[in-house]
Amino acid sequence: MDYTATLISAMLALATPIIGGLLMGVDRKLTARMQERVGPPLAQPFYDALKLWGKAPMISSGLQPVLAFGYLGFALVAAGLVTFRQDLLLVLFVTGIADICLTVAAFNAKSPYSYLGGRREFLAMLSYEPVMLLAYIAIFLVTGSFTIRGIYEYGAPLLLVLPTAVAAMMIVLVIEMKKSPFDVSGSGHAHQELVRGVFTEFSGYTMALIELGHWTKLATTLMIISLFWAPNPLVGAGISLTMFFAALLVDNLYPRLTWQRMLRTTWTVGFALILVNVAALAAGGVI
Amino acid sequence: MDKARLKSLWVLHYDCGSCNGCDIEVLAALTPKFDVERFGIVNIGDPKQADVLVVTGPANRRNQRVLRNLYEQMPEPKMVIAVGTCACTGGVFHNCPNVLGGVDNVVPVDVYVPGCAARPEQIIDAVVLALKKLSGEAAEEEG
Amino acid sequence: MYTETLIAVNIGLPVVSALASLVLSDRRARAGVVYLTAAVLVVSSLLLYNVGGLELNLGGGFEIAVVALDFALLLYFMYQGFMYRSWQVLALSLAQLIPVAYFEFIVEGAHVEKILVVDNLSILLTLIINIVGSLVVIYALSYMEEHEHHLHLERSRQGRFFFYMLLLLGAMNGLVYSNSLYWLYFFWEVTTLCCYELIRHDGTEEAQGNALLALWMGLIGGVAFVAAMFVGYNAVHSIALTEMMAAPLSQGLLLVFALAALAAFTKSAQFPFHSWLLGAMVAPTPVSALLHSSTMVNAGVYMLLRIAPVVQGTTLTYIVAFMGAVTFTVTSVLAIRQRVSKRILAFSTIGNLGLITLCIGLNTGLSYGAAVTLLAFHSVAKGLLFMGAGVVENKIGSRDIDDWEGLLGRLPLTTAVMIAGMVSMFLPPFGMLLGKWVAVDAVASTPLLYGLPLVFLVVLGSGATTFYYAKWIGYLTVLPNGAKMSAERLETPYRVALYTLLGVNVLISVGAALVLSNIVNPITAASYTPQMSTPMGGVDLGFTSFPVLPLWAAGAAVLLIGSWLAKMKGGAITTPYLSGENVADKEVTFMTTGDSEVAANMSGTYLASSIDEEWLDRLAVYLGTAIIVALFIAEVV
Repeated sequence: MDYTATLISAMLALATPIIGGLLMGVDRKLTARMQERVGPPLAQPFYDALKLWGKAPMISSGLQPVLAFGYLGFALVAAGLVTFRQDLLLVLFVTGIADICLTVAAFNAKSPYSYLGGRREFLAMLSYEPVMLLAYIAIFLVTGSFTIRGIYEYGAPLLLVLPTAVAAMMIVLVIEMKKSPFDVSGSGHAHQELVRGVFTEFSGYTMALIELGHWTKLATTLMIISLFWAPNPLVGAGISLTMFFAALLVDNLYPRLTWQRMLRTTWTVGFALILVNVAALAAGGVI
Repeated sequence: MDKARLKSLWVLHYDCGSCNGCDIEVLAALTPKFDVERFGIVNIGDPKQADVLVVTGPANRRNQRVLRNLYEQMPEPKMVIAVGTCACTGGVFHNCPNVLGGVDNVVPVDVYVPGCAARPEQIIDAVVLALKKLSGEAAEEEG
Repeated sequence: MYTETLIAVNIGLPVVSALASLVLSDRRARAGVVYLTAAVLVVSSLLLYNVGGLELNLGGGFEIAVVALDFALLLYFMYQGFMYRSWQVLALSLAQLIPVAYFEFIVEGAHVEKILVVDNLSILLTLIINIVGSLVVIYALSYMEEHEHHLHLERSRQGRFFFYMLLLLGAMNGLVYSNSLYWLYFFWEVTTLCCYELIRHDGTEEAQGNALLALWMGLIGGVAFVAAMFVGYNAVHSIALTEMMAAPLSQGLLLVFALAALAAFTKSAQFPFHSWLLGAMVAPTPVSALLHSSTMVNAGVYMLLRIAPVVQGTTLTYIVAFMGAVTFTVTSVLAIRQRVSKRILAFSTIGNLGLITLCIGLNTGLSYGAAVTLLAFHSVAKGLLFMGAGVVENKIGSRDIDDWEGLLGRLPLTTAVMIAGMVSMFLPPFGMLLGKWVAVDAVASTPLLYGLPLVFLVVLGSGATTFYYAKWIGYLTVLPNGAKMSAERLETPYRVALYTLLGVNVLISVGAALVLSNIVNPITAASYTPQMSTPMGGVDLGFTSFPVLPLWAAGAAVLLIGSWLAKMKGGAITTPYLSGENVADKEVTFMTTGDSEVAANMSGTYLASSIDEEWLDRLAVYLGTAIIVALFIAEVV
């Protein structure tokens, strides 16, 4: 067993919250600049999380902190699956556990805002889960494997064969980052939707855990997107960051849309993008 | 931790029956011209996640309950900034039958910002004072 | 001699116990019979597993007995059809009686040498039938007590109830050992009988109507089997399954398998026959737990698993796959619309059976393994869920899940079991998710022309499944803050059944690698090359892998650390945010215009505006019928 590689993978997985946090900082800075403001310092998310941790604890029930940690914990497990180059379907399903921890915690606090936010979060999951599944199956059809290791072994950059699948991942990214037009369940800072939507009843350290979990998920999704140019990690990271920037741009251009629109868009546009791609590849004899 | 508290201040903005003049000034502080977000100040709508309660308008018999409820739903450490003359003392309305006077009749206020309407610069100054008070408290705890 | 005894016990003991339950009027004596039968059956199934396969030739006496009982059964069905004015039942029974008589007496083709054949697949089914079935019957002891108490029955009808429940166990065991098509058909019809009698147990008009629906749909399967006997005998001059499977595939034999598939669809409630299972939910819940989720409906997919190896590569098998996929997706979407707990579970059952059918239809080593895996894990999890739902229904008197809101506070133990059961249906690292994962891999590995529509359907169904289970879990945990969890009084039979089955569920999920290597792979190996290897307690498919044990460890760690953190930091319990208008001391109530107080009312989401249930149901019937027509056209063309 290669101990160095294992150690690096484990360290990278544990570092995903930090990477995600920095990216969130970049997010807020860039958004501010787009709005002709100065914006907070890059480390702002970390100050926020620390401050939250130091607040007097206030919880809705005994279950809530356990589930809040579950959100972070399972997001870290999913990150670990990515850094250890495991099966992509499993990454999706384990992230699903994390999301369910969040939504059940939101339901658990009997509050109308968090209840509605939780329902919308389920609808968000219903929207993007099939699209991601389909995207991973498209990757399988090209590389012959569902694992990330398989993508590396495939050698060639996936972006060249699956360009529209990456576009479909864009929609997923927007929903996951909780950016307009699809931030129906609980938006980023200072964007209120149902007060704070699914996050309404979290406070203090539970909110800090949720924040960390959100950063982890963000970093994990971007790592997966970077796999579309596996041979050169820098190019891959470039693609991720480009899509990240595009998501910010879309956020600042578009208003929030309804969940019906979200469901309809992901299931028509998202599916169509991937199916067209796969059909083209089949016709071209690549798969 | 204290540094984090100073650099990240989340605001809950509540209008206690104000004429909205001060409210507009508070929100103006968030706009690109004054941009308080660069100090890590965010207008969060949820008391459970807020550090500072920015109140405008005078406290009256009806909204004292709501104000008190919101204040109690905020976790420690928390501060209250009363913006505008009405919030400080009741302003021109202090004699009205339903008005109790300034907000400090209902919740403990940390910083008073007089003015009608208080200017964004004064409001930002108030926040800085609040931060100093927070760090001053911290300094007192350590000392 | 030893193995023959085990077979006799598995088939015969439940029959004897059934008769005993019918005759005994003392409740405690009957309970004793049930417990004893359960214990013996569990042990017997484990011993049978240990033994491995065998072939048995029973004497002519048994064959005569079966013929006599079969005629009696058909005459009883005709009588029922006549009594309740159901021309379908009457016609379908007659359509079996006359041909069977002809076959038995004129053609005299019913004799088969190796009349009982027990192989690995039979043993897996026996384990499921005996272990899950025994726990359900024990559970039924308490359930029926409460049920009859709610109905204010003067005279207990439990004798009749347990007669049919136990009879079903024996019949199912007989079904999975039968090598003679006639014997298989006979036991199949006995299960139809038990199903009919148990659905109409409460005697209401609705129950009777739904029971008749289940009966005539089941009889379609019976007719299919009778036709299959004729065609099969014509083709290979025998009605032994082993002979039919060993012979080269002719058009006649293909027709036999098409007919068997049709029968399987009726039993497993695939389209267009799904309505009987939904109607069957009117029966007492142990019936649903035993027949309609974990045992009887497995007979259909068992039939498909039997014939699958021999129809590899045919059009038949791809049509079967398509049927399964369509059923899976449409029922998963329809489940979102349901408010009645048992209907949600019923749709989930039909859907998962559809997924299993899909995997069988794909007919590769990998998909066959996926199907068997799903079958095993689904039976355990679904039986558990139905039992839990029954307890809740008895305790709070409602099946509407909006009334189940916040159940975690009122019935913490049962709700915890329910939540664990639901989690095990669709989340890793549980076995159902493992099976679904293999199934997705299998579907994705199919040649693109057939594979792509199937992939699309599976992906949609999977998303829908997550949605309706996750929201149900959410509702159960809605707790007014500061609510104390009440102490729940859970009777012993409930505890035994629920906790044991939950334990089994967790155990087989943690030990999934062992289940795959010791049970699933040997079954697959009979006709395919098993594609699932199990290194280090995980599952490896060559092109991908599932680290079972590391995921369990990680999950346990997350829960432990989370609990420790919650304990360490704790926190003051706070009221929910209601824009500051909270009314003190009242649960989630806020003050609004005119100083009136309104309690926040949050109801479930059923996407009624987006999902047209009636339209989808009609689509299911039309599409299902079309697929079956296509199935037969493909055979004769």
